[in-house]
Amino acid sequence: MFLKSIDLTTALRPSYLPDEVLLFVRDNVGLYEGKSKLRDQQNGQVYLTSHRICYVDQKEPRKRSVALDLKDVDRHEFYAGFLKSSPKVTLVPKPLKRGSYHTRVLSSVSSSPRSVPGSPGHSEGAYRPPADPPTATAATWVCTICSFSNPVPSNFDPTAANAHTPLPPCLACGIKPTLSHVLKAAISNANNRPSPSPAISTSSPLALRSGPSDPQSMSESQGDLLTSQLGDMSIGGLNGTNGKGASFECPRCTFSNHPSLNSCEMCGASLVSRDIPTSVQQDSMSDATRAESPGPVKDQSKGQNDMPENIKLSFRGGGGPIFYERLKGSMTQRKWLLHNAPPAPKTNRMLNESNGNGSPGSPSGGRAKTAGIAGLEQLGLNMRKNNEILIGSAFEDLEALMASAKDVIALAERFARQTNNGQDSATAEENAILAESASQLGLITTKDIVGGGSSESLYLSELSRNLAEFLTDDSRGVLKKAGGIITLVDLWAMFNRARGGVELVSPMDFEKAARLWSKLKLPVRLRTFRSGVMVVQSRDRTDSTTVKTLLSWLQDLHEFPPDRDVPWDWQVFGRGVTAQEAAERFGWSLGVAEEELMMAEERGALCREEGLEGLKFWVNYIDDGDTAKVKGKVRKEHDQIMSALKHSGLL
Amino acid sequence: MATATASTNPSASASTPSASASTLASASASASASASFAFPREYHFPAFYTRQTNLTTLHAQRTKWSALILAYARHHRIFRLALSSAADTDLFFNRRLDRRLNADDIRDVVDFMRKDGRAEYVGGGSSGDVVFLFWRKPDEWAGLVETYVDQSGQKGSVLTVYELVEGDGTKGTDIHGMDTEVLLKALNVIVKRGKAQIFGQDDSLGVKFF
Repeated sequence: MFLKSIDLTTALRPSYLPDEVLLFVRDNVGLYEGKSKLRDQQNGQVYLTSHRICYVDQKEPRKRSVALDLKDVDRHEFYAGFLKSSPKVTLVPKPLKRGSYHTRVLSSVSSSPRSVPGSPGHSEGAYRPPADPPTATAATWVCTICSFSNPVPSNFDPTAANAHTPLPPCLACGIKPTLSHVLKAAISNANNRPSPSPAISTSSPLALRSGPSDPQSMSESQGDLLTSQLGDMSIGGLNGTNGKGASFECPRCTFSNHPSLNSCEMCGASLVSRDIPTSVQQDSMSDATRAESPGPVKDQSKGQNDMPENIKLSFRGGGGPIFYERLKGSMTQRKWLLHNAPPAPKTNRMLNESNGNGSPGSPSGGRAKTAGIAGLEQLGLNMRKNNEILIGSAFEDLEALMASAKDVIALAERFARQTNNGQDSATAEENAILAESASQLGLITTKDIVGGGSSESLYLSELSRNLAEFLTDDSRGVLKKAGGIITLVDLWAMFNRARGGVELVSPMDFEKAARLWSKLKLPVRLRTFRSGVMVVQSRDRTDSTTVKTLLSWLQDLHEFPPDRDVPWDWQVFGRGVTAQEAAERFGWSLGVAEEELMMAEERGALCREEGLEGLKFWVNYIDDGDTAKVKGKVRKEHDQIMSALKHSGLL
Repeated sequence: MATATASTNPSASASTPSASASTLASASASASASASFAFPREYHFPAFYTRQTNLTTLHAQRTKWSALILAYARHHRIFRLALSSAADTDLFFNRRLDRRLNADDIRDVVDFMRKDGRAEYVGGGSSGDVVFLFWRKPDEWAGLVETYVDQSGQKGSVLTVYELVEGDGTKGTDIHGMDTEVLLKALNVIVKRGKAQIFGQDDSLGVKFF
């Protein structure tokens, strides 16, 4: 399938492949397949990355999000918009070499109210192979029964056709041709020779339109395919009757046809020529399907087209031109190829040296000579030399730098790791974050990505998602390390540090983005304490769960004796805790601990004691709680008595 | 149950001596006598001595303090409490915990009790050092006096206030040893009900019940 469903991150953004780089984001985009709207994909965000185009639906992102790989895209066109129709980017998929046309033909038959009467079977499923412009006369095969020249189905691929390829019957008499017959016709047409007409010619105008069934015949591998181009110009084919001026001369039988027809009235040959400018085609298409109008909506209940003729992105909120620019850029760069690319080109010098000295990479004879510490040193020396050459060659010119970008980044990361070795763990952790940022470069949201500040809200929502991802990223564990709660200021500092000094986020934007979390239903939330301190925590951690954890901790203090003798009965009251202790216990920062304790007090779960040792918090034994506790005690005693009685055999 | 044989641990003793056992009339209770009073659980809770910020908790705290003060006063038959000196008594000062309720908070509790009709500054007004503690409210006392008069068949006769407080007739009842002013408040309630009349001067007040 051209459109694939995709995985989303916790922040409802597409999860990226390794090496994938985000290029552009745009919201308010709808999808079309061919000329029809895709009903479920009419409002969403489109992410252009170096590898894919991802559509994330606004309403049901988990269900309806799709992506298409750029490597499957054969051709792309831009339509700037006309009157009310929005700008659109058309993506034409590469042809697939497969043999099963069954479903496609079926679906096209069932959903062809707009197709030309002459060729009901194959107007929808047809797509235009763009590389070679379609010939004016499409391939035809002549029926052996009635000698009617039928068009070879546009989706007929001689290289893939086999006995199971469904073939449409003759349009005039309804008799199915043999596969070899159609193949022959296709090949002869490909060779630009007129197809040989068979001898038998009986005309029986029976319009038997039976559905396609299993054909017989053999399979053969052939040369290149040429598909007829039907159906793209189907609009207007039904209502055009008054046109007098220009007429279309059939390229095969020279009959002058009405200009709105796209197959010859006499011989049925396709009339669509390559002379028609693409803009005309597009105008006619997009006129019929502008955003506001209830244009044709693709009926998805009637079988899914495996290979749509094209996919269109309709940019209702603008941003189409920039998207198209970047798309062109990434189509030219073809980064997806890099994934399996060989490492940076080694210079001759390097090769010589590695051969001569026996570098670790090459298992040549030199290695055996140096063993032990000397060998290890030699190895290290070689490695350093290698690195030196790599860096040196990388900067020779830009071309080379781009080619070896991957290696240089890897090298930089290794350096970062090496510098960590001798230092204490705290800075090592920070450096690790810094080093990670190199690999994260592709994932950050910048104002540039969302189209040059044209839409502040889109930038903020993307930043908001970006932040949520940053927070919930398990490998980083930002939230976990901070005990599930972190002040906004700390997060801001950490986030900007992770960005490695580029594209820093302003505090204002940061706060605005954080405020969007709840609106975007992201798994983190912003909380403002009474003192005005803003903190970030995951959505599932509400006040009541915090209170619960606090209480269970304080309950534990009833069981474990305090460090020193206390005048009160600790088994009854436990112990008072300071904010400091809570911070240590839960890994919170001191401010957060204080706020959380205050919050619990506010809810009546805790009470305070101000003494010489500072402010301490206790389980609230002042307010009502004790009555419940007494009841519990009574019940416990009762249970004990009952169990004792049972034990003694009285019950 | 004798008051002299009290244990030294205040929390250990759960005994509830009858009211007649104690003859103490002032706040300066001896250590042995205070030991017999069973303090409530909160008394041993350190946070109980800090004024709470949460309003709900604060209300509960005031209620409990009020209950504690009244129970303590009832136990020791305290009718007047001098706040400044009481701050150092066991009531407000838990020596074992080394926690005390400070003077401001004591006044806060007293104000709370005043609103409840359980306390009143001596001499009226909204401030002062000595307060009446109404562990029985004046009308409750009034009811008590009326029943006593009823049961002893002294309706229609004249009694002096001194007789009521110190006389042999009231021995064995709560009226005996009552604070005179509190008794007068109670008698005034009866007067208002129209069931008695007070006459005489300061020292020799008499009351006639009908």
